[in-house]
Amino acid sequence: MSAFFSDAGAIFLREWLRYRRDRAYWIGQLLFPLAFVGLIGLGLDRVVELPSGASYASHLATGILALLVSSGGVGGGFTLIEDREMGFLRALRVAPVSRASIVLGKLAARTLVSLALVLLLVAVLSLLTPLRLAHPAELLLAVVAVSASSVALGIALASRLRRLESFRTVSALVTVPLYLFSGIFYPVATLPAPVRALAHLNPLTYGVDLLRYGLLGVHELPLALSVPMLLALCAGAGAIAVAAFDRASGG
Amino acid sequence: MPGASATETGGVGLAIEARGLEKRYGEIAALRGVDLAVPVGACFGLLGPNGAGKTTTVGILTTLLAPTAGSARLCGFDVVREQRRARECLGVVFQESTLDRDLSAREHLDLYARLYHVADRRRRVDEILALIGLVQEAGRPARQLSGGQKRRLEIGCGLLHRPRVLFLDEPTLGLDVLARSAIWQHLRALRREHGTTIFLTTHSMEEADGLCDRLAIVDAGRVVAEGSPEALKRALGGDLVLLRLERGEAALERLGAAPGVRSLRREPEPASRVGAASRAEPGIGFRVTLSDGPRQLAALLEAAAPCGVLEVALQRPTLEHVFLHHAGRAFAVGDADASARESAAPEHPA
Repeated sequence: MSAFFSDAGAIFLREWLRYRRDRAYWIGQLLFPLAFVGLIGLGLDRVVELPSGASYASHLATGILALLVSSGGVGGGFTLIEDREMGFLRALRVAPVSRASIVLGKLAARTLVSLALVLLLVAVLSLLTPLRLAHPAELLLAVVAVSASSVALGIALASRLRRLESFRTVSALVTVPLYLFSGIFYPVATLPAPVRALAHLNPLTYGVDLLRYGLLGVHELPLALSVPMLLALCAGAGAIAVAAFDRASGG
Repeated sequence: MPGASATETGGVGLAIEARGLEKRYGEIAALRGVDLAVPVGACFGLLGPNGAGKTTTVGILTTLLAPTAGSARLCGFDVVREQRRARECLGVVFQESTLDRDLSAREHLDLYARLYHVADRRRRVDEILALIGLVQEAGRPARQLSGGQKRRLEIGCGLLHRPRVLFLDEPTLGLDVLARSAIWQHLRALRREHGTTIFLTTHSMEEADGLCDRLAIVDAGRVVAEGSPEALKRALGGDLVLLRLERGEAALERLGAAPGVRSLRREPEPASRVGAASRAEPGIGFRVTLSDGPRQLAALLEAAAPCGVLEVALQRPTLEHVFLHHAGRAFAVGDADASARESAAPEHPA
């Protein structure tokens, strides 16, 4: 068991080094939400009134943070295609390391990057909108669950797709509907009934709602439902990622 | 230091043992029953034309591919059922790069030292950096290293955890003469000092001849010849002596009486030789095949002396002759490979 975690730790370290060095990535990931919230959120803030009474800018800001975590996670799964192209995965596959520890290492590094981005952005966005670390534990669960399930989705897509271009197109096709029906842009309660039903089936909806609770203290869905739901999602995502990894790493 | 020994392999003394390995990809059979036995501490070379099944064999032995039929053991561990134990014994240097272009040489070695649970990680990483001559470049990302430096780093990653069996798929492909001989030296030292078993595939006959004490030639998914480089060369039928004598009278009888003569024939007259017609050479040419050229040449020359020896040349078969003789039979006769084979080895009929 200790070998399992030390192997995952070694993989984590490698992933973390790669993320840390990619300065352009951090700048892009930090500027995009700030521009989005600053240009659109603050403008609509004066026009839109939410049922919860919260400001639209803070609603959008929390939604964009969830979007950032999710799209980053899908992209994290995609690094498998890069690793495969470089040949790096082949060396990893002949090492006496379990698939699960490789997946855990990748997942942990990706999630840490997302968490760091969220905290940095909260610090800046709290100057523009009423964000604060209202419920840190729930925020952490939301980030981990959204990140893990998105990484799993990314790995599952990477296992089917060989090329970067096709990955970009197909992942957009899969994720855009998930993002639109998840309460990122407007509250689920304001959606027409059939769309609202779809939103309730979307696991991301629960992650977005809990993340919002963590930063604003308001939520649309019962916590007694979203918390166990997201815990289950973490476990399920891990299992799916490990299962898809074999196919994704082959070649 | 965990070196390999016969007792650690369960007393069998074989580092690699494969029986009836087959691999099919749908209709295509990449391997059609390969048997291999590599003793602990040996350096084993796998030769064969492109597409013969070398890489597939390495893939199965290194646990990356599952065989369709047959089985293989590495240090006594089944490569399918005891994958993890087998993986702990092996190190691989792949033909294509497996480096992460954004990690430095030191970071690569450090990562593998962690994954293989190498004791005293830092010291071992420094040791390998010195061995592969990348101390100065240790902090540079792999993408900035030269081709030879990258190759050395790959080999360093393969050696780091002191594997009991080291697989090398075309280890010196694309390296200059200096880098190549440095790597050969490392490999020899590795065998000498740690008893590491080495399994390599190569297209370089020089490499196979200089490093390996046992060779197998695969062609179309089967082992078509196996043995030490010396035995394989001997099996081709002996050494060729090209003689040019002043007088041809009674020469055939005299030469035929010398020890070790296997075959003997008089060269065609110069006038009848295509391309050589204009260049008349004095004397008469003979081709004599001896079973052991270096030892029997003196006696042959003694027998030929009364006829006046003008020229003599001894040609020993090389591994290239062996390779061309055994490999590529699956190709249609008349293609480029077949004609190259005929022109390269006409003197060595089996």
